[in-house]
Amino acid sequence: MVRLRRQADSLLGSWREAQKLADVADSLEQVRATAGSDTIAVGGLRIVVNPSPLPWRQAAELAWPVIDSLYGSAAEDLPQHPYIFRAVDPDSGVRRAVLHVGVEVPWDLDLRATSTVLLTTVTAPHIDPALADWLGAALRPTLRPQDERAVVFVLLVTAPSEAVRRCFLGDIARCKDVLQVGDSTGLLARWYVTPAEREALVTEAFTDYFARGATAPSLQRCRQHHDDACTALLQSLPPGTLPRPLAQAAGILLVREALRAGGRDAYRRLVARPSAPIGERLASAAGMDIDSLVVRWRNDVRAARPKPLALPWWASFAAIGWTAFFGLCALRSSRWRL
Amino acid sequence: MTAMFRAILYSQWKWSRLIVVLGTVAAFAIPLVSLQGAARADRGALQTQDLLRAVQSWGTLYPLLATALGLLMAMAAWAADHRGRHIHALTLPLARWRYVLLRFGAGFVLLAAPIAAVLIGSSLAVLTATLPPGLQAYPIALAVRFAFAVFVAYAVFFAVSAGTARTAGIILGVIAAAVLVQVVASIANLDVNLFAAAQTVLLLGPGPLAVFTGRWMLVDV
Repeated sequence: MVRLRRQADSLLGSWREAQKLADVADSLEQVRATAGSDTIAVGGLRIVVNPSPLPWRQAAELAWPVIDSLYGSAAEDLPQHPYIFRAVDPDSGVRRAVLHVGVEVPWDLDLRATSTVLLTTVTAPHIDPALADWLGAALRPTLRPQDERAVVFVLLVTAPSEAVRRCFLGDIARCKDVLQVGDSTGLLARWYVTPAEREALVTEAFTDYFARGATAPSLQRCRQHHDDACTALLQSLPPGTLPRPLAQAAGILLVREALRAGGRDAYRRLVARPSAPIGERLASAAGMDIDSLVVRWRNDVRAARPKPLALPWWASFAAIGWTAFFGLCALRSSRWRL
Repeated sequence: MTAMFRAILYSQWKWSRLIVVLGTVAAFAIPLVSLQGAARADRGALQTQDLLRAVQSWGTLYPLLATALGLLMAMAAWAADHRGRHIHALTLPLARWRYVLLRFGAGFVLLAAPIAAVLIGSSLAVLTATLPPGLQAYPIALAVRFAFAVFVAYAVFFAVSAGTARTAGIILGVIAAAVLVQVVASIANLDVNLFAAAQTVLLLGPGPLAVFTGRWMLVDV
């Protein structure tokens, strides 16, 4: 025991030393990367860039209101983390010095693409592991919120899950289940309601995992439509590995709704209590109870049905025009010119 | 003039009735087959994606059918004239362009049958199916798109068929020249991509074949 503790202490010491060295290396690298660069400040954005034709300032002016509208008052903390970009010639084959901090960007991007670079680089301030884990992806501002809602609409309609379908039809308790913002006990039965879904999950997502060792016979029984075997196999999975029936985009959209409803301090309230359940944090951020927030989220998603697959008006005219054109070609064919 | 159109329509019907009947049957059947099984009451959430996949897979047949119908109808419209070296057409008391216009119009009238079949088949398929919540059917949009595709295909092949062997030779020569230039450019490592340019011109935006591209979905979100 004493030996193990000594080894653990030694490891901790080595880790701390390595951390210090890494910090020094980062600091030196940052100095090297930013040498000869300019700093552009727009709102809370601090961008360190090398001289290039890229429209950084205009892009930052475009991106900042979008960033500010998502993080609200928490966006004031962003200047603590300046973003380093290095514009490079995309067509040049000349070997460049390798930098280990910042992002390389081709210098021929237009204004919209440069804004998108800024929006996709910004990191959410004060995000904690619990929230990051629940989100499953970075919470970043978007220039196209309507597209994001349309994606979630498609997910709600096409997800192979009865719980998701019931959520789409208005069962708010099911919505809370599939978004994982309510009671987290018995998730298997809440997420995968029907035996067919459980069987499909085992046989499609976990075949290799269960095909060897002691679980192989249960897998065989599950394949023979024995729901007890499928359920037992899924319950034996390590915690946190059961796949969510609804993709991450739905959760991210819920957070956006909470932040939109809660005003400028919503993000600060969201990250204020990392130990609280996600549902409570979202409710606190939105300034309303979680049921009302989920109803609002669902209504927004349902209102964002993607455009139907119809031909655009100009395509109809183009088709008529081409038909007339080729008809005219036939009328004017050299065969008829005597 | 009406009597003349009816006579040409009748002769064209005689030459192409097999194509029209088979095309109409296929156009009626494809939407029904694409939604097969959708009427099952026990269709669960697991099957929604399967349904969309099936509809999308079967949807590839609509542009193919439209192309085939356009090609065969255009060939049938001119086959007898080509065989008779256009002597019959030349003996008619009719300007050449009028004669061509009547043939062109008769083809459109005959193509109305498969277009109507797509509309009726789609509507019937949708009425008899139980669609999962959130999905919507687009029978009219599909039929309209099919109609445009059939018309464009028919017009293109009609123009080609109406031309002389010299015209066909010129068209084939241009295509062969483009292929040759592309091959030579590839060998010389030049940054020339004629196929991509042709694809952009023909298939994207208001290009003549743009109506054939994209997803042909009878049912979608």
